Amino acid sequence: MSICRRIRALHPVALPLLLGGCDGPQSALRPGGQDAAQLYLLFVVMLVGAVVLWLALNGLFFYFTRVNQQQFSLRHGNRIIIGAGVILPTVVVGSLLAWGLSIMPSQRAPGDGLVIRVTGEEWWWRVEYWPPGADAPIVSANEIRFPAGSRTELRLTARTYIHSLWIPSLGGKMDMIPGRETVLTLHPDLEGFYRGQCAEFCGASHAMMAFESVVMAPDDFDAWLAHEAAPASRPQTPMQVRGQDIFRDEGCGACHAIRGTEFTGSVGPDLTHLASRHSLAAGIMEVERDDLMRWIAHTRDIKPQVAMPPYDWLDAEELAALAAYLESLE
Amino acid sequence: MKGDRVTGISHRQDQDEFRGATGSLFRIALAPTIWAFHFLFCYAGAAVWCAKFGTPGGIAFLRLSIAGLTVLALLAIAWQGWRSYRQWAPHDHDDHVEGSHRFLGHAALLLSVISFVGVVYVAMPALFIGSCL
Ligand code: HEC
Ligand SMILES: [Cu+2]
Repeated sequence: MSICRRIRALHPVALPLLLGGCDGPQSALRPGGQDAAQLYLLFVVMLVGAVVLWLALNGLFFYFTRVNQQQFSLRHGNRIIIGAGVILPTVVVGSLLAWGLSIMPSQRAPGDGLVIRVTGEEWWWRVEYWPPGADAPIVSANEIRFPAGSRTELRLTARTYIHSLWIPSLGGKMDMIPGRETVLTLHPDLEGFYRGQCAEFCGASHAMMAFESVVMAPDDFDAWLAHEAAPASRPQTPMQVRGQDIFRDEGCGACHAIRGTEFTGSVGPDLTHLASRHSLAAGIMEVERDDLMRWIAHTRDIKPQVAMPPYDWLDAEELAALAAYLESLE
Repeated sequence: MKGDRVTGISHRQDQDEFRGATGSLFRIALAPTIWAFHFLFCYAGAAVWCAKFGTPGGIAFLRLSIAGLTVLALLAIAWQGWRSYRQWAPHDHDDHVEGSHRFLGHAALLLSVISFVGVVYVAMPALFIGSCL
């Protein structure tokens, strides 16, 4: 049982403010995998240790200044200083260091096969799935899915600026550095939705560089990945067809790829299965009509400095058609 | 006029004392300097090794070098600590007088202790981490 739940059990009504950071899809205090569980344990031990030390130290202060004000001999005083002031902290910090260091290799333990390459872009995530034996990736964006119960290897890099990938409920952070590849492996256990966030200040839209992460049962994951690898569905309704025409006429395909169509741009996120993602524009909106229309018309008001220009000359009907087309890309 | 009328210390005595003190002052800085260079060699060494050879080449050599460097640094610091201890607490010392000479020994001893701990902490990652990742 996590700390949050335990405190809540003690006091179900009060404390919700205090525990604001405790629960939810982006909390390191609600581990959903082995790596986060390790860090959580480390945190709890440090917290309890700090509280004990604080109480002991202040208790001693209180004792010697208020309760027992006797004078110590120099020798006795020196012993206390050397024991409690030199040896104790050296041993405590040394053991914590050893423990922390012993955890680090397990957070980079080799994966069980699936490799996910993630590139930090401005300000979104390019995601490529490489199942074992694949010679071409399955391309996606702004959402990272994991099979539960196995260790997945994340190979990270960045385009222009340094970013950092962090899914607090699944594990620690790892920097994404242009021109370099860093590795992080994660072993999620609990199926569910988790939120990730760029954890290294990277510029104007850093705070709006997040993503959804989904941990799925292995079979569901395989089915989903097969679907993700397939080309996009064709537009069905007249409105969707019109949306695709606008997409073509406005040149969206120069930046965005939709597999199975003539659109093959790679400046922006792959949109082949946009509608099966759980968020829009790197975790800040939803994939639904109004948000899509708002995004296309006001990109830079919503996210400063994004490469995608605002299409504010499109009228509401055109925007709705575009959105309808994008919503059909299940 | 030679010397100081109030303390009665002659100019020459003053100079001798000062010469002794400069030696001690340098010695004070010795242990932290060893610590600093040990830190530099370990971190720069690991960075260069991993950039040039990486994990495929194995990092046994790197870890052994860090171990060797650490043993050397610890020996040097321990020796320095022992000398400082003697300077601080000579056999015939009187607990209640700590002149500048003894004070510098005391300071050097404390610095040796913290440098010793520092060197051990700096070397610990090499004990646990067996790859460049
Ligand atoms: C200059 C290149 C460029 C053009 C042209 C462009 N986009 Fe984008 N688009 C981007 C980039 C870059 C992003 C990622 C922005 C971010 O989230 O930081 C993006 C994001 C998006 C997203 C959100 C994707 C996701 O994964 O959530 C949608 C939807 C989208 N664009 C639709 C369009 C449409 C429709 C057009 C044409 C009307 C268009 N784009 C034209 C570069 C472009
Ligand atoms: Cu970022």
